[in-house]
Amino acid sequence: MKRVEVKLNLEAVAPLLDVIKAAADDLRPMLAVDPRLPANDTEFATAWTGDLLAAQTSDLSFFLALFNAEFFTDGVIMLDTPNSEPILRACSAVRLRLREKYLRPLGDEALESGEVPADKRMTADQRRAFAAYVFLATLQELIVQHLNPTAPE
Amino acid sequence: MIVAAAKPHHAPQPTSATETQLADVWRVVVLNDPVNLMSYVVMVFKKIFGYSEQRARRHMLEVHEQGRSVVWTGVREQAEAHVFALQQWHLNAVLESDASV
Repeated sequence: MKRVEVKLNLEAVAPLLDVIKAAADDLRPMLAVDPRLPANDTEFATAWTGDLLAAQTSDLSFFLALFNAEFFTDGVIMLDTPNSEPILRACSAVRLRLREKYLRPLGDEALESGEVPADKRMTADQRRAFAAYVFLATLQELIVQHLNPTAPE
Repeated sequence: MIVAAAKPHHAPQPTSATETQLADVWRVVVLNDPVNLMSYVVMVFKKIFGYSEQRARRHMLEVHEQGRSVVWTGVREQAEAHVFALQQWHLNAVLESDASV
């Protein structure tokens, strides 16, 4: 089993956690992506979205648990192959929520490239949200590159 | 080796059989979004469908450049399972019937 120890800059990352946790809280009662359901049936839709929401909630709890006492002591988070999948999905859910809540006005090009044009004015909330958005993307890249979740167990 | 049966039987009408087969074919389509990373989408396609890096990348680029890609075709039950799995990974996935073309 591969394991990666990531040392984060506490001063830079700790302030982003408030934004990330708030986005994760927003996602308790709702899905990050409104799903297009394969059947027009209320009972089916309830079960489908309920299962997706339960999975999303579980992933987010798993992800937030990374930022434990050890992280606040030395800035270290531990990633390994089994925990990489829920973390990847949680990062995606939070990034999608940050887009909906703060970042949509920046435009899709900025969100795809991770770079905001210099002349684009951002509010303080948008700046924090964008920093969290980029941080989560970096974490995802790191996991995809180093832990290769598609490799056979 | 089994040879042709001598006794006559009533084969289904060709048209009906074709219609039934078409109705059973469903497509799993992934739509573009500006949030999920290209490397993430490739990884998800590899994970869910067992695609090679090259094939997963081709579908990802199709989604990115054309806005959608048919990533899988087959029977409804399995197609639904794939859509659910893709939605669990927060990709914009939809199920389409081939009959709707």
